[in-house]
Amino acid sequence: MSAAIRAENITKTFGTITALNGVSMQVARGETLGILGDNGAGKSTLIKILTGYHQADSGQVYVDGKPVRLGSVDEARALGIECVYQDLALVNGLSIYHNMFLNREPLWGWPVRFLDHRTMRRRAAEALAEIGVQVPSVELEVGQLSGGQRQAIAVARAVTSNARILLLDEPLAAMGAREARLIIDLIDRLRARGDIAIVMIAHNYAQTLEICDRVMLIQHGEVTFESQTATTSAEELLDIVRREYRAARGV
Amino acid sequence: MSSAPDTTRSLVRRAYAFLLRPEASVIVVSVALVVYFELANQNFLTNANVRTVSQFVAAPVIIACGEIMLLICREIDLSVGQVFALAPFIMENVSDFGVPVPLAILAALIVCALIGLAIGLITIKLGIPSFITTLGMLFLITGLTLTISRGYPANAPDIPVLTGIMGAWGYSEIVWALVIVAIMHIVLRHTRWGLHTTAIGGNIVAAAEAGIAINRIKIGNFVLTSTLGGFTGLLEAFRVGSIDPLAGGSNIMFLGVASGVIGGTAIAGGAGTIVGGLVGGIMLGVMQDGFTLQGINAFTFDIIIGAAILIAMIANIHLAKLRGGGAR
Repeated sequence: MSAAIRAENITKTFGTITALNGVSMQVARGETLGILGDNGAGKSTLIKILTGYHQADSGQVYVDGKPVRLGSVDEARALGIECVYQDLALVNGLSIYHNMFLNREPLWGWPVRFLDHRTMRRRAAEALAEIGVQVPSVELEVGQLSGGQRQAIAVARAVTSNARILLLDEPLAAMGAREARLIIDLIDRLRARGDIAIVMIAHNYAQTLEICDRVMLIQHGEVTFESQTATTSAEELLDIVRREYRAARGV
Repeated sequence: MSSAPDTTRSLVRRAYAFLLRPEASVIVVSVALVVYFELANQNFLTNANVRTVSQFVAAPVIIACGEIMLLICREIDLSVGQVFALAPFIMENVSDFGVPVPLAILAALIVCALIGLAIGLITIKLGIPSFITTLGMLFLITGLTLTISRGYPANAPDIPVLTGIMGAWGYSEIVWALVIVAIMHIVLRHTRWGLHTTAIGGNIVAAAEAGIAINRIKIGNFVLTSTLGGFTGLLEAFRVGSIDPLAGGSNIMFLGVASGVIGGTAIAGGAGTIVGGLVGGIMLGVMQDGFTLQGINAFTFDIIIGAAILIAMIANIHLAKLRGGGAR
């Protein structure tokens, strides 16, 4: 499989702190990569470089094999890279369909352009049905939905806005098992489509091993472990982290 | 789809949905007030009094249209009542140069729009909260109006048809108000401008993330509010026939804001309706006129209005909770 997105030797420092020290990663379409690591290990910095929010000090990112410059969020978005953040970028007071088309609203009429609510409702319902997200009505306000449903809407919006490289920042954080199931199923269906590369940051080893095809461990800004999920286990990952803690404590 | 039981059910559902809307409680209270005033005082529903009520209602409602847009995107304009007083003097001074009155009206509106632009630029570009920017503007414009007028009232121009259209005919002001309400309702509900205004107030990070031009929309709403404030001042000047340097002021501004908030606009932004501002304004106008007819003492009157505003707002917030987390 050729990589949809590939990063090589990314380094990034903030002042005297080295957030990333020569990190490489790649993920193919139809593949899900899980990135694990402690707070401050550099996971979020890596994601923010891929979304164009931060710029790497050195290293190169390739999209579909071509070297790209990710100078801003808009540039990354134009390349089909979209991130769904933990603090969901949804407006609670607006309906599901308004959120899904925010700033991309279909319009009608001349010389004054009006919102085409009907088309938005229809296309939002279609898009959600297509990826199997169930809501009672697309006219519901997002604020009335559960955390899992909101996360699903945010993912659906990214996909309908043509994201082909989907970055998920802690998609299962603060979610109960049933809610998490909703998102895990959604990620499974998106992977099955085969045209989307998914990278997710996570804390929970068991969940990550269940969802992802491949897993990567980042510690102190470096990739310390990488494996297909089929050939590793939570125990193996825990061992690596445990050794790390012991070394830090000088045991 | 359109079989009879379905239609009935959909009507019932619509009626229920309507009753849960913030405007509904205000409409119910307004109707109750009208019934009460008519029973207590047979003069309430006479032609002359209905006209008076419409005149009480019109000015706050037009101002509410602007303030609602600002409140939804988490801003406010405290100086709109001062722009209200300034606009007729600009018109009068410009027409004194021999400029035809319609053009003088246009010039006054342009000045008001520029004041709104200045408020918007100061607020957005220099990062001053609009509460402070417009508080400063409130004093600044009062001083400007007093300087231009030298503190004296002036006569409004009297041109046969124009004066009537602009407010002298009994119902022209309320007709203007209803037309502006209709236009602003469409702007808020059916254009990108309105949707983006709501999105900004609901979650500014999400709005920025989606690429919405936040500054442009906020500044635009300041321009809109000042222009509507000036236009209301012109209407009142033509209706009364004289221009008063102390007309409008904070009183009209607060009535406008209260109309919006009573009608369900969230002070914290992100939610609100123009129609709510209309019914809020009607409720305040009915009370103002009704209690005056009852001969209630002016001091008591303010107590009643104040209490009514508080009760309406408390009811509104609790209804919003009942609706289930929609508007906060």
